[in-house]
Amino acid sequence: MTNRPVPIPDEQSAPFWTAAAEHVLTAARCVRCAAYSMPPDVVCPHCGSTDPQFAFTPLSGRGTVRSWTVVRQSFLPGFDDDLPFVLVDVELVEQQELRVIGRLLDGVDAPLRLGDQVTVGFEDLAPGLAVPAFALSR
Amino acid sequence: MSGRFQAAGRVAIVGFAQSDIRRHVDTPLGGLAVETARRAIADAGLRVDQIDGFVGATLFPTAGAHRVEDGVSIVSPNWLAQRLGVEPAFAAGFDGIGQLTGSVVLAVNAVASGAVDYVLLHRALHNPAGAYHANPMREAGGPQQWTAPQGFFGPLAMIALPYNEYLQRYGARRESMASVVVEARKNGARIPWSFWHERPLTADEYLAAPTLFDPVCRFDCDIPVDGVAVFLLTSAERARDLPHHPVYVAGYASGAPTRRRLPLHWPLDDIAEGGAGLARRLWEHAGIGPRDVDLPQVYDGFSPFVWLWLEALGFCGPGEAPGFIEDGGIDSDRPGALAVLSGGGALGNGRMHGVPQMLECYLQLACRAGERQRSSASIAVACHSSPHYGGAIVYSAAPL
Repeated sequence: MTNRPVPIPDEQSAPFWTAAAEHVLTAARCVRCAAYSMPPDVVCPHCGSTDPQFAFTPLSGRGTVRSWTVVRQSFLPGFDDDLPFVLVDVELVEQQELRVIGRLLDGVDAPLRLGDQVTVGFEDLAPGLAVPAFALSR
Repeated sequence: MSGRFQAAGRVAIVGFAQSDIRRHVDTPLGGLAVETARRAIADAGLRVDQIDGFVGATLFPTAGAHRVEDGVSIVSPNWLAQRLGVEPAFAAGFDGIGQLTGSVVLAVNAVASGAVDYVLLHRALHNPAGAYHANPMREAGGPQQWTAPQGFFGPLAMIALPYNEYLQRYGARRESMASVVVEARKNGARIPWSFWHERPLTADEYLAAPTLFDPVCRFDCDIPVDGVAVFLLTSAERARDLPHHPVYVAGYASGAPTRRRLPLHWPLDDIAEGGAGLARRLWEHAGIGPRDVDLPQVYDGFSPFVWLWLEALGFCGPGEAPGFIEDGGIDSDRPGALAVLSGGGALGNGRMHGVPQMLECYLQLACRAGERQRSSASIAVACHSSPHYGGAIVYSAAPL
């Protein structure tokens, strides 16, 4: 069992974590305007609908590195065994400025540049629990 | 509503007190706040029973699991009023980002509207025992479920991403940041109440520190402290009868990003675009432009904010701040420089959340800076937090 903080799915986010457990990355999509939002919200940030009925829709999992940091001292003790690790700020290909943050699974020595292509990967933390991360596209 | 601030020059700071800034004080934070408030009221030539407005912000800026308790780890305006034995006409807390500039806005509006005569504004910061940001959380619900399970957590990760984005985009180097931190510590070392009094930092010491969240090292972060600052504000008319030279509020602006992001995700473009909007509103509100400012005091709770504020306010073009600073552009000892950290900032005083910036504007414009007094300052700007979420206030030695 992991010491890392585990997500507590709620009514809205449950489909995201169910899909993640099957290694499928999804994002919340507004039923009114079809634009993606991460994280989902009460109001659609794109069309302003107060009834966006966000549906978690599978994505390609491909994206571009917009920034990164090497974490050498985590404030979450559950990550101590993983130090040091790289976090990447990724813009997903499906929509401009649809950005998510995750660990880069290639390790701290992998050369990185802005604009590098990455693909989603998943860290299996427990039965039925996988957290999205990224790996450099080859 | 946009354009010039209708109440420009009608509200002034008339007194202050700043406690010693220490890693840990022996007394509870509330006691230090009451003591500092009494000193500030006396400094302004007022009596406690004249104070009819109390404003402040209580944010305890830790990512850890520390207890929030009024009078102990935070001090609210109502708590302070009650302990001073005052029944105020108006007591309010600012709960946005840019806590100090937001509190000034509450105070100025309350005085300008005629709702109150004398406002006491305070900020009390606490450094709890144990690690400041460490959090043993094992579960992440709500907004944090999108970031903490992935390992993205805490303010150092927050600033490391846009900081590295800046370095990569403009080909800047983290070694350039040494001149920012050395400047802050040089000025802070000259301030008697600073935690870093008589303790400047060399560039070699800065560069020898290991990174924690690349490219951020510990010297890029202000140190958590116990400390309290209090300011008194009143109308320009009432200020004439008080002992010190009033310092007037000419205008203000806050950041207000509309783009929604993951918790603590502050991309560089959000900061730059939000900062440009803040600056446009600020100059309109105060009826001036960046060239009219003698003494900007930029926020530096994390060192990259110095670059980001210099560029947001229009003192440097995008990507130009590191070179400007390395060429001596902000050196407080160089005639003609833009001494944006002359008050030592947060890096040179301790984690006082916007207080050093406001205090330096007040001290210089009121001609109360003692040996550090600068001759030419008549318009100053105090900034707090990030340009896209925080705020800025324009102060003037005479009503603008």
